[in-house]
Amino acid sequence: MSRLVAELPAPTGTKPVRAGRRRRTRQERLAYRILLPALGTVFIIVTIPFVLAIWQSITADDGTLIGLRNYAKALGNPLFFDALRATGLYALIVLPTEILLGLAFALLVHRTVRRAGLRATLYVLAVLPLVVPPVAVGVVARLIYAPGYGVLNYLLQGVGVTHSEIDWLGVPLLAMGAVASVDIWQWTPFVYLVLFAGLQTVPRESVEAAQVDGATWWTQFIYIELHYLRPLFLLILFFRVADVLRVFDHVFILTGGGPGTTTQLLSLYIYRIEFKFFDAGQAAALAVLVLVSISILYSVVTRALPLERA
Amino acid sequence: MRTRRAAIALRLVLIVAGLGVAAFLYAFPLYWLVATSLKGKAELFQSITLFPRRPTLESYYSVLFDRGFWVLLKNSVIVCASTVVVTLAVGLVITYPITRLAVPPQLRVGVLNWALSLRFLPPVAVVVPYFAIVRTLQIYDQPIALIGIYSLFNLPFAIWMLKGFLAEIPLELEEAALIDGANRWSAFRQVLLPLAFPGLMAAATIVFTFAWSEFLFALILTATPNAQTFPVGVQGLVTQFEIIWNDMAAAGVIAMAIPLVLMVIGRKYMVAGLTFGVIREK
Repeated sequence: MSRLVAELPAPTGTKPVRAGRRRRTRQERLAYRILLPALGTVFIIVTIPFVLAIWQSITADDGTLIGLRNYAKALGNPLFFDALRATGLYALIVLPTEILLGLAFALLVHRTVRRAGLRATLYVLAVLPLVVPPVAVGVVARLIYAPGYGVLNYLLQGVGVTHSEIDWLGVPLLAMGAVASVDIWQWTPFVYLVLFAGLQTVPRESVEAAQVDGATWWTQFIYIELHYLRPLFLLILFFRVADVLRVFDHVFILTGGGPGTTTQLLSLYIYRIEFKFFDAGQAAALAVLVLVSISILYSVVTRALPLERA
Repeated sequence: MRTRRAAIALRLVLIVAGLGVAAFLYAFPLYWLVATSLKGKAELFQSITLFPRRPTLESYYSVLFDRGFWVLLKNSVIVCASTVVVTLAVGLVITYPITRLAVPPQLRVGVLNWALSLRFLPPVAVVVPYFAIVRTLQIYDQPIALIGIYSLFNLPFAIWMLKGFLAEIPLELEEAALIDGANRWSAFRQVLLPLAFPGLMAAATIVFTFAWSEFLFALILTATPNAQTFPVGVQGLVTQFEIIWNDMAAAGVIAMAIPLVLMVIGRKYMVAGLTFGVIREK
């Protein structure tokens, strides 16, 4: 069984050498001849929607310019801030839980499981939730939390925790918890896999030296392992934040944004403005706002990411 | 001494109990989905039981044939397979020059960064303009609309995975073929492509899996079984006024079965794909 490891780029202090103005080599010209048509096409396909979104956001349905009226409408809608709040709350529940649980499992398996076969089995088990379509996970959640036929109430009553029917999807905080639990079920294994791979890069000598010096589980983690995991935490945060902003499927299936608008995350909100209220102008304004904020966020964090770009 | 041993025993008990709870939370939802799908229609009106009273495949038959979901399954396969072909073709065209030819490092870094930025693009932000474009091009409710969009959104994964696989194949192999008189195209086809084949298959399984799961665009850009994909059908079962639980569960099982089968081939590369090559198997 091969090992799962994290491969981080070596920190380099030197900048790439600038060749200055020189003749392009034959290979380079060939590279541009292959690249330009492909990149150009993709670039146009990506860019047209942006331009169109901006255009849609500043015009009325008949094509007349209306300035920033759609933006005023989008920002003046109290539901927009409800959506932001719901997305923030969702992220605040989901991200710390996934990271702490994933870290705990990674440390536990790293230190107690030595058998390669068992490690391989755990790997397969951890990959499994990652490939399950969110729609299917939403269906499972519905089978568990739904009023009437939901199995969770049945189990809780069986154990004697409660004797009444708890309306998991009808109480705002419980509904948010239910929606978040789906995310946690699906993505904690991802955090586990990344951090577990990171732990494999910790040099054995420094751990052994620390153990000779009497390091406990905790000090060994704080002073040695955490140091190696730091770039991976950043990576996890980057990908998970990107994913939280696109969460749609399982929430749509499980609560549809309800009760009221308590689980109406940003993506569901934009969907609703466009396809339920048919306000394309306001939806386009929202889309532009989201795109601009994401571009800013992206440009801030991308440099810090430990990706091998060479 | 005794208290110390007791403390260790207590810690062990806590860890084992914690693992037991975790294992239950992990496995029970999956078990419950399968168990519900195996229940017969009559059982839905009786009280809940943890095991199907008389396991039957009735609900699978009902979903696939009575409700005609096999058509959606077929659409999904067509859309995902085409997405794989388009994504890998475009991905190869973009990654070949930056990994196999002598190009300035800035170009390589620029292309990879650009692909990475696409990964951060939230689909819902482009849903509005894409909807307008698809309507204008009159490809609403046609598979081609989904294929185009899925290919675009999976391109970042394909580019980063293929870059990793291509960079591992020694340049000398291609150069040897060139010296022997082959031109670039035949060196690519006869030397590089066969060597890159395992990597291509890995990228293919992962792109297929992602495309298979996609729901938002499929919901918005399709309306009839002409182009609807399987997840859209599953959603249709869920939001109905009266939910037929066993049919819904069976649809859920079918939706997750295909990615799980694919993972038999692709599991080694899944994490590498999701982390853009940071986590790899050695």
